[in-house]
Amino acid sequence: MSYEPSKVLRDGLQTAGNALDGYFSIKVAGDTFGLPVTQVQTIFRIGSVTPAPGGPADIVGLVNLRGKIVTAVSLRRRLGLEPEAGGPGSLAIGIEHHKEAFALLVDEVGDVLTLTPDNAIAPPPHIGRQRAKFASGYNRVGGQILPLLNVDAVFDFSDDK
Amino acid sequence: MDEMLMEFLAESAEQIEAASAQIVEFERNPEDAALISSIFRLVHTIKGTCGFLGLERLQRLTHHAESLIGCLREGATATPDVVSAILTAVDQVKVLLGDLEETGQEPDGDDSEMIALLERQVAICQGGEAADAAASAEAPLVAEAEPEPVVDEVVEPEPEPEPEPVAAAPEEWPAEPAAEVVTRPATQESLDALVASLRAAKLDVRREQAAAAKAEPAKAPEPAPTAPAAKGASDAAHPAAAKAGESGEGRAKGADTIRINLNTLERIMNLVSELVLTRNQLIELTRHKEDETLKSPLQRLSTMTTDLQDAVMRARMQPVERVFSNLPRMIRDLANDLNKKINLVTEGADTELDRQLIDLIRDPLTHLVRNCADHGIETPEERLRVGKPAAGTVRVSAAHEAGQITIEIADDGRGLDINKIKKKAIQLGVASAQQLERMSDEEIYRFIFAAGFSTAEKVTNVSGRGVGMDVVRENIQAIGGSVALTSTPGKGAKFALKIPLTLAIAPALIVEASGQRFALPQHSVVEAVGLNGGEHKIELVQGSKILQLREAVLPIGSLAELLHLAPPENRTAEAEQLAVIMRVGAHAFGITVDAVVDVQEIVVKPMGGSLSHLSSFSGHTILGDGSVVLILDPNGVCQALGLEQSREGSAAHVESGSLRVGDRTRLVYFRAGTGVDKVLPLSNIARIETVSSEKIEFSNGMMLMQHQGRLMPIVSAAPDVMVKEGDNTVFVVSPDGEPFGLLIDAIVDIIEEKLDVEIAGDQPGIVGAAEINGKVVELLDIAHFIDIVRPQAERPKDRKSRLLLIDDAAFFRDMLASTLQAHGFEVVKAGTGAQGVSAVGHSGPFDAALIDVELPDVAGYELAERLREAGAAFPMIALAPYATREIQRAAAAAGMAGAVGKFQRNQLLDLIRACIEQQNDMQDEDLFAGAAA
Repeated sequence: MSYEPSKVLRDGLQTAGNALDGYFSIKVAGDTFGLPVTQVQTIFRIGSVTPAPGGPADIVGLVNLRGKIVTAVSLRRRLGLEPEAGGPGSLAIGIEHHKEAFALLVDEVGDVLTLTPDNAIAPPPHIGRQRAKFASGYNRVGGQILPLLNVDAVFDFSDDK
Repeated sequence: MDEMLMEFLAESAEQIEAASAQIVEFERNPEDAALISSIFRLVHTIKGTCGFLGLERLQRLTHHAESLIGCLREGATATPDVVSAILTAVDQVKVLLGDLEETGQEPDGDDSEMIALLERQVAICQGGEAADAAASAEAPLVAEAEPEPVVDEVVEPEPEPEPEPVAAAPEEWPAEPAAEVVTRPATQESLDALVASLRAAKLDVRREQAAAAKAEPAKAPEPAPTAPAAKGASDAAHPAAAKAGESGEGRAKGADTIRINLNTLERIMNLVSELVLTRNQLIELTRHKEDETLKSPLQRLSTMTTDLQDAVMRARMQPVERVFSNLPRMIRDLANDLNKKINLVTEGADTELDRQLIDLIRDPLTHLVRNCADHGIETPEERLRVGKPAAGTVRVSAAHEAGQITIEIADDGRGLDINKIKKKAIQLGVASAQQLERMSDEEIYRFIFAAGFSTAEKVTNVSGRGVGMDVVRENIQAIGGSVALTSTPGKGAKFALKIPLTLAIAPALIVEASGQRFALPQHSVVEAVGLNGGEHKIELVQGSKILQLREAVLPIGSLAELLHLAPPENRTAEAEQLAVIMRVGAHAFGITVDAVVDVQEIVVKPMGGSLSHLSSFSGHTILGDGSVVLILDPNGVCQALGLEQSREGSAAHVESGSLRVGDRTRLVYFRAGTGVDKVLPLSNIARIETVSSEKIEFSNGMMLMQHQGRLMPIVSAAPDVMVKEGDNTVFVVSPDGEPFGLLIDAIVDIIEEKLDVEIAGDQPGIVGAAEINGKVVELLDIAHFIDIVRPQAERPKDRKSRLLLIDDAAFFRDMLASTLQAHGFEVVKAGTGAQGVSAVGHSGPFDAALIDVELPDVAGYELAERLREAGAAFPMIALAPYATREIQRAAAAAGMAGAVGKFQRNQLLDLIRACIEQQNDMQDEDLFAGAAA
């Protein structure tokens, strides 16, 4: 287990300090999502993963984050994309949701973006329902459309049980 | 919420709980003046605080309740009506407090009905007591009032002028309408009421001081003096120092304890857990380093962490009294509802248990007590008819026993009705009449823990809805505990709960299956059995895996398969070499794993929400090396194996069924040298080892091998058995606790046969020849080999010592019997006292008897006395799960030779040998004396 606060994170948190509407841009398999900076507790590389037999398929297992056991969730699997290897060294975002500590495995954490309500656009109508539920909103940033990650949906496994 | 309000709620909850328990107590002991004063004070304190906090509704209600309690204190009779009225009021206060806690506000509405009821009771009390009120008011005035007010006033300087007038009108609290004070008759304003209210005022004043100092310092009329200063002043100023000292002490005591928010305690506990884990990691890291500078501080860190962990655990401990305290009230209400007379006796209320567990055992315990009162205790008429006192007794006792808490709930009622249980069992289809026929009473009683099992003819609102006992057992098992049940018809039933001290830290086996590690709580593990030796084999019976272990037939499953673990690529079929035998309630079962990697104290952490639905796991933990492992839930594993609750009796039945094979013996059938095949009773063999030829050394003409860290001698089972190149098979035999090896050529089979030695052998090392399945085999004589290995060793007695083993638990019975047989004893088993008595009659004589103290039909001690009366002269040893001092004493009182814990094999063997030796010596002396005379 190694914890290397990336430069991005340090910069990001500083930006976030005065901009509550700061968003990390996170990338998985070519998709980019916005994740509110306030939701992110830490960004780290995971150590060894202990699988949880019988658990939801999108849960990769349990990892030790500095003495705390966190549930590792693959965002790729969650979105129905080609699963990553998910082994030690994978990049993860520490998020606490409903008092449970999660590590969301992602490919890349990019810049912090500042979004304002003017950026928001209506959801494109033709997005599949399975995918659409993981977006809480859509923004237009610099000519690109950025879906915002719906953390509640990502960590709600009640359908998978 | 307001911090003061929180404090008030926490305090009031305790006070109201105490008050309601004391009221019930008072109803039974109306003479106890101290008790009613205490109740009065408790209610008064709540009332006072309510007034201070502006909680008018609560204040009004408590005021009226207090009036009625006041009447009782003045000597009014505590009729059931009066007590019920007070209790309803107390209940209502609880409800209001509950709402207050939830919403932070006093709920709307009024309690005029209840107040009217209370007033009516006050009127009745006063009507009857008016005449003697004046007279009785005199006595307390002289007896109690004198020194106290003075002292209290001095010790607690008044911060506000208000409390002073309290002397004249104790009911006058800031928010209270003055009119209410006037309604109280003047006769009640006796001085002891004043004393009580002053005492209460003292409390309130203190709170006011604190509040005033904290919230609005400016409002405090004079600076609140610190406690020691006040005490010092009073000591100096007043020679009445004795009393002052006393109340000073009282306060000091108060200062010794502080109230801690549960979350704070939880946080400390969590931090300590983390610390323990970090410590373990550090130790792991430095294990292979020879760095002396690091070693000693690390050692200190380690001890201190352990001490800290211990201290924090202790802080979480609470007396079981917290659960016991609401029992008197419940029993009282039950007795009233059911028209029964019931006494409640509680013992060991100060026994401490982890806070978390206290909350978890509350429901099961309450349910069991209800059950005793409802089903167990008969109506007074019925009791008198059978010659028992009209009032039944429910006894609840708690005690520490070797790292566990035992809570017993016993009644002296009618006991369980075995016929009803049988009928119900057949009706529910959990057992057939024939099966029941063969079951012991104990096994049949256990059916009441099956789901949907209620034999109550009419369903009362108290208990008996058919949900309950199964839930009780599940709840207790879920926390790693167990429920045992004994019952004697006409004498009563007893439930014994065994509960671990804490859930937070538990010893666990770290097992490996399919490359993944899991923690298995040790409390449910019975033993681990190697599967590679050929002694224990897994067989397929109708598609299900079965393990034959000694006399038991156990369902067994592969952990990897149960959890659907993907097999690692290089996996071979023989990877699972170890069966871990577990026991959950009535079920004994095994799981096969690749290895037991370690035994560790683990810090149990609950699973996060997204995985908490997995029934096979109870939590997760971090091991010393920093890796995360899941903690297996024995209950969940049991279910995953397909052992359902409804098959309750059947597991036990299989065990007892195999007992009846009786004269058939499990034999190891093997080849040793030339000549016919040999056999040895399996019970004579402790282990079967495969030893490579390099591991066998020769020294002084004897073969030796390393066994469990010691050198063990090996002899050839026949003169022409030689050490072969490569693997050799060695039986480890330890007839007297000192193991030695027996080298053989190959195991052929393990069979269960009746063994009749027909032709006595003239060859050394052979008892004789016998015919098995049409083939002649020779039975090896272990004694001969002992002579070879230890020529100087004491020769075993010509005749094997015979033991009578009486234990109702088939599992222990079998386990112990095999141990004893392995140590050269002949064992006759009995499952009940009655069987024991008949065994003495039919299969005697015995050299000693081992008697479980808790038999279903008779207490072990009683049985010992009965056997002795029947002429049994042999020594008797009491068996108990743990030989506590009480058990030792009881055993001695019953004339038994001693008491030993069932798991303390060595002590048990020592005691048996000592007993038998003494017995033989005595017999020799007798002979001698007889000859001399």
